Amino acid sequence: MEVGSLHFHCRPIPWSPELRRRTKPTLRRFLFFFRASSSSSNSRADYKGPKPRRDWVADLVSNNDDAVRSLPIYVGGASLLAVLLNRTVSGIAPVADASSSQSRADLLALGLAVTNILTGLVWLSIRPKPISVVSPEGVECQRIYSHLPDSVSSELLWVWESLSDVTCCRTLIVVYDSHCILQIGFAAKSSIGDGEPVAVDAVKLMQGSLYQNVIKSGAQSYLANLSLYPGKSELPFLPSNTQAVILQPLGEKGVAIIGGDTIRGFTTSDQAWITLIGEKLDATIAKHVKDLTLSAQE
Amino acid sequence: MSNLLCSNPLIQFKMKIIPAQFPAKKSTMKPASISSRLQNSQTPSNQQLNLSVLRFTLGIPGLDESYLPRWIGYGFASLLILNHFVGSDSATTTPAQLRTEAIGLSLAAFSVLIPYLGKFLKGASATDKATIPEGTEQIFVMSQNILDTKKEDLAWATYILLRNTNTIAVLISVQGALCARGYWNIPEEASRKNLLEWFERQIERIGLKNLKDTLYFPQNSDSVLWELLPKGTRSLLVQPVLQVPKPGANQMEGIEGFVLLASSMGYAYGDRDKAWIGALANKFGDLAKIREVSGNLDCIW
Repeated sequence: MEVGSLHFHCRPIPWSPELRRRTKPTLRRFLFFFRASSSSSNSRADYKGPKPRRDWVADLVSNNDDAVRSLPIYVGGASLLAVLLNRTVSGIAPVADASSSQSRADLLALGLAVTNILTGLVWLSIRPKPISVVSPEGVECQRIYSHLPDSVSSELLWVWESLSDVTCCRTLIVVYDSHCILQIGFAAKSSIGDGEPVAVDAVKLMQGSLYQNVIKSGAQSYLANLSLYPGKSELPFLPSNTQAVILQPLGEKGVAIIGGDTIRGFTTSDQAWITLIGEKLDATIAKHVKDLTLSAQE
Repeated sequence: MSNLLCSNPLIQFKMKIIPAQFPAKKSTMKPASISSRLQNSQTPSNQQLNLSVLRFTLGIPGLDESYLPRWIGYGFASLLILNHFVGSDSATTTPAQLRTEAIGLSLAAFSVLIPYLGKFLKGASATDKATIPEGTEQIFVMSQNILDTKKEDLAWATYILLRNTNTIAVLISVQGALCARGYWNIPEEASRKNLLEWFERQIERIGLKNLKDTLYFPQNSDSVLWELLPKGTRSLLVQPVLQVPKPGANQMEGIEGFVLLASSMGYAYGDRDKAWIGALANKFGDLAKIREVSGNLDCIW
């Protein structure tokens, strides 16, 4: 097919995460600064407002998550024992009636202890399951369609940078108008040839059921555990151990395929952001690229 | 119970796209209407559902069970005090009773503290909803003398921030362009035309344009932080938009502007929210970083 210029100068690019981290504006740094007093920063700044205080309770609790979860159980259990001990030591008969004020006070304290123990049990039971990250097997790949205007390509790259920084996304593929216009991140290594990344066959993808369903419903499709889904065979270009995939339709002509390295790694907030970003991407591409095939033949 | 959830690989989400005007009613600002077989039938369908965790509830809608220890703490503490003074006359109070009451009161104090601690645990979902404070009006103003693409970007960015986070008011100032959207307290003397100048003056007064670090005030007391913000702001996040210098170039990081988000609930922005807001701020940052990545793009077709 004579679309575009078929220059395959592909070789796996050594991904240097250190370089990437040095040049991007260190989002991680902001996450730690948000509560700390930023007194050292602005030597030439005119910011005259208040600086945020350090929230040590929040930091303490988030750093010692497990210990805090079982704390109410220990507090409740210890108080329970203390109340019973107090009662036996003082020589009062262990009768659970509410006739004397001592018994009433004991009962109230027992009630509180039981509440604490139950709260501790609830906190332990709702602890989120830690899910491990699975490194994708494949080669790094950075391919972009050559005939895109600057605004579209910078928008696509911004989407990739955001997704890979914030979510567990490790692969991004954008297919629009029967062309694959972006394939970035990890890709499956092709078994033939010299281990190059597998190319995306856009036409075959668009005939498959995954794409058809997504375009027909117009809604995002989230495959939270890809290994259990038979439609995985329609996505051979993704690394074989991709854990989660989001298929985001871009209008009626395209789809964005986002592969992640954790089962159920995309939160509902991530999905909402991806939906709106998909709409913006669709608007940008549709506006600037009237017909990809025509522009390729110029 | 989480095993049930593991065995379901396909979770189809239908997003109801609400036409571009965010809900003015005092309900959830989250747009997703989640239809899934795993949905807990007791929670309303427009709440954000964390499917990896199931909570035991009393089943009463609108009742937040995580605050139950606090109410029990207050109730039992008052009963203890009542029992001390009314149950018997003070002459016959034994040391044993005093010890028990001491234990009971300290337990009650700890119970009252429990919901506050529970807020910071992993997996704690925000059950408050952002409410619109009184006396604010909904505005949407933008600088006029900028490119159309810039206007679209600003409009879309403010829209997505208002939709996806617990924000009631957003202000973006980048490269000389200003955009304010949401519920603000506008003083009487600023008419529609001077609104932008009023914002500019406030920004100059606080000096936000030279901000280099992210500011996050998660729990603002009732004192008014800045005159600029709508009354009833409890959380504030200001994210600077930085210009990343090219590596090797000998220049400082320039400041392109900032993104200011105000919310009417405390602790409104979790780590994930802040990460997304930072990513959105990068969109307005200089494209030096994007140019560098695109310079690495080897395979082009």
